Amino acid sequence: MKWFLLLLALCISGIGQSALRAGSPEELFRDGTAAFRVADYAGAIKAFRQSADIQPASGTLHDLGLAEWHRGHAGAAILSWEQSLWLEPFNTGTRGNLRYARKIAQLEAPELTWYEVVSTWLPANWWAWIAGISFWSAVAMVMLPGILRQPKAAWHQAVAALGLTVFLLSIPAHIGVHTRARIGFVQQKDTPLRLTPTKEAQSVTRLAAGEPARLERQRGNYLLVRTNRSEGWVERSQFALICRRQ
Amino acid sequence: MSLMLSQPKVDITTNVTAVASFDPPIVGPGEQTIYRVTFNALEETIDWPRKLNAPDELQMEPGAHGQIIPMLGPIQVPYTTFNTRVRASATGDFTVPEFKVQAYGHEVTVPSAQLKVVSTPPSTSPILHLAIEFAETNLFVGQPTRVRAILPGSAGVFSQGLPPVQFTGQGILVDQAASSQMVTVTSHDGMNMPTYTFQTVLTPLEAGNLSVFAQCFTGNRFAGSLVITGPAMIPAPPPPFTLLESSPVSLTVRPLPKEGELPGFTGGIGTFKLEPAKLGTNELVVGEPVKLAVSTFQYTLVPLTDEIHETPAIPFSYFDPVRGAYVDLTIPSVPVTVHAGEIPADFSTLVKTNGAFADENEPVLSGLAASPGWTGTLLPLQTSPLFPIVQLIPAGAFLGLWTWDRRRRYYEQHPDVLLRKRARRALHREWRAMRRAARDKDAARFAGSAVSAMRVACAPHYPAEPRALVGSDIVKVLGSNGQSDTVRRFFTVSDASHFAGTSTDTSGLLALQPELEKVLQQLESRL
Repeated sequence: MKWFLLLLALCISGIGQSALRAGSPEELFRDGTAAFRVADYAGAIKAFRQSADIQPASGTLHDLGLAEWHRGHAGAAILSWEQSLWLEPFNTGTRGNLRYARKIAQLEAPELTWYEVVSTWLPANWWAWIAGISFWSAVAMVMLPGILRQPKAAWHQAVAALGLTVFLLSIPAHIGVHTRARIGFVQQKDTPLRLTPTKEAQSVTRLAAGEPARLERQRGNYLLVRTNRSEGWVERSQFALICRRQ
Repeated sequence: MSLMLSQPKVDITTNVTAVASFDPPIVGPGEQTIYRVTFNALEETIDWPRKLNAPDELQMEPGAHGQIIPMLGPIQVPYTTFNTRVRASATGDFTVPEFKVQAYGHEVTVPSAQLKVVSTPPSTSPILHLAIEFAETNLFVGQPTRVRAILPGSAGVFSQGLPPVQFTGQGILVDQAASSQMVTVTSHDGMNMPTYTFQTVLTPLEAGNLSVFAQCFTGNRFAGSLVITGPAMIPAPPPPFTLLESSPVSLTVRPLPKEGELPGFTGGIGTFKLEPAKLGTNELVVGEPVKLAVSTFQYTLVPLTDEIHETPAIPFSYFDPVRGAYVDLTIPSVPVTVHAGEIPADFSTLVKTNGAFADENEPVLSGLAASPGWTGTLLPLQTSPLFPIVQLIPAGAFLGLWTWDRRRRYYEQHPDVLLRKRARRALHREWRAMRRAARDKDAARFAGSAVSAMRVACAPHYPAEPRALVGSDIVKVLGSNGQSDTVRRFFTVSDASHFAGTSTDTSGLLALQPELEKVLQQLESRL
């Protein structure tokens, strides 16, 4: 029993120390900002990335994109800004950065369908909350008056109808979020787009860093992606999705 | 949807089989042969091993692989082929043994294949041997070169979606738009035969030694007559399509030199000639566009001031791979006379980009964010496995409320059911108390619990308050077959203890427990 308690104490102290070493997302954000201000972009990238790994935040990803851009990593910068907009689509600064980067690097923005455009109006995860709350509000307004022995009032029906309407209207946005989750960006300069998923495969074309593409499927170390003009396989390390799997 | 349904189906239900063979089956030591395995399955579903089990004398190297999905009757049948380049170091008969691979998640047996290595192999026919020819093999990065794949014979080349012939290798770019194919009659070893030629332009994108080979699917390669003079066993026919590959060709690719690079170099490599620049007119008016044509390029120039007397020189240079140097081919100035005029509104943006005014809509890089901002998850909530589980909470709550409400309404309409249910519950409670008292040999408590149990069990039949019932009420419920004496005995003892205040003889009550149990069972069955 003593040995068990001793082991438990050691484990707890170890976890505590590693947590202290890692720092909180806010501390890392401040470290990154300080490094950025003295033009230590490599240090800033490291701090911002650690902070975003612990807790993805729109401001952290915005700043990470700036640091990546200053280091000449257009693909990583565009990905970070797109991720920032995924969390906070109202940030005009991040939108401006994307326009700027795409103009400078002569890149296109992803071609979005109408329901994907709808899904960009609000943060992606808000749609899930909106759908849940509106649907269950409608259900509650239909069921609760009867259960509570209250006569059904006009406002009950109005709230139920409103809830159902909001829920139905949010469905296209859900589909948009789902399909946008498969959009990604080329991370390395001159990434070969291959005909087949092998190292020796014929290159159809070369993709610039930051070029958007949609993930179709995966095979081993290769991803089948569809760009605005062509389709082919790229290496897994050369492509990153907005919605990275955590 | 109807268009989708009208598409022929791809056959993925037929049992997958594999055919393995060497091509050619007889070679000399050191000569290359192809170990070819073909499946009637989609390539992506086949888990092809990285290393094959083969005799030590056979040096094996992965070759081409690909799939073709031809229409065979009403359906499309997939064929996937994996080639392995094999060279034998000694003469003899060698066998690549049978092995198993996964296709569509099931095990498929690849049969064994035999290779005979002899010191004097029969000469091979050039028919249907794919060859590759480069215009040049010493190149600079970005220098396009013509490449031809040549296939003697008349079997034809098959492809679906992909180019008929693929050039495979790392660090190359194939220009599909520049490809062409033709069939000509050519002479091979003194034989005239139709020859398929596929030609395209290939550009190396990396420096170093690049290995490139061509691959294509062709029809069945059986050719010529077959004479059988005695008993013979004819094996299963080979797959109808064969994946051919050429021997790899090595390209030596050098990087472009950094020194000597000239202004206006945009990646042009080759030999360029510049014809004299032709201006639409030499008499210009401010704001009016004029065309400047140079070879196949055409520029539109708009004079913005009447103070200029010649068009600006347009820098252009290219890299000449033959000379190994950059060549200046700047488009020279052309003298013009510009008359005064007004700049149209359409060209005002041109003026702005020239630096006269700053564009307010021009995107600029923003500053740092002051705080981490909104937090969240980059994985959509909808795809999280917790999301449906969280939705089950309100669903369960509403289902529970609905069930409770239904039961409540039922009991309101059938109060007797509720009474009986409560009576059953009270009876069990008193019954347990009675048994505890019997175990403790406490006859008075035993009698009290027994009477209470009988009362609560009979109350719904009247209906009445249980405490208001007397022994005769219980006997009436039990009917003529009931243990009336037992019931009366217990009520007498209970009444005496409650109302008379005298001690009564309870010594024999505990012995009546079996009879009392029967009474209570009868009462419970009537609830």
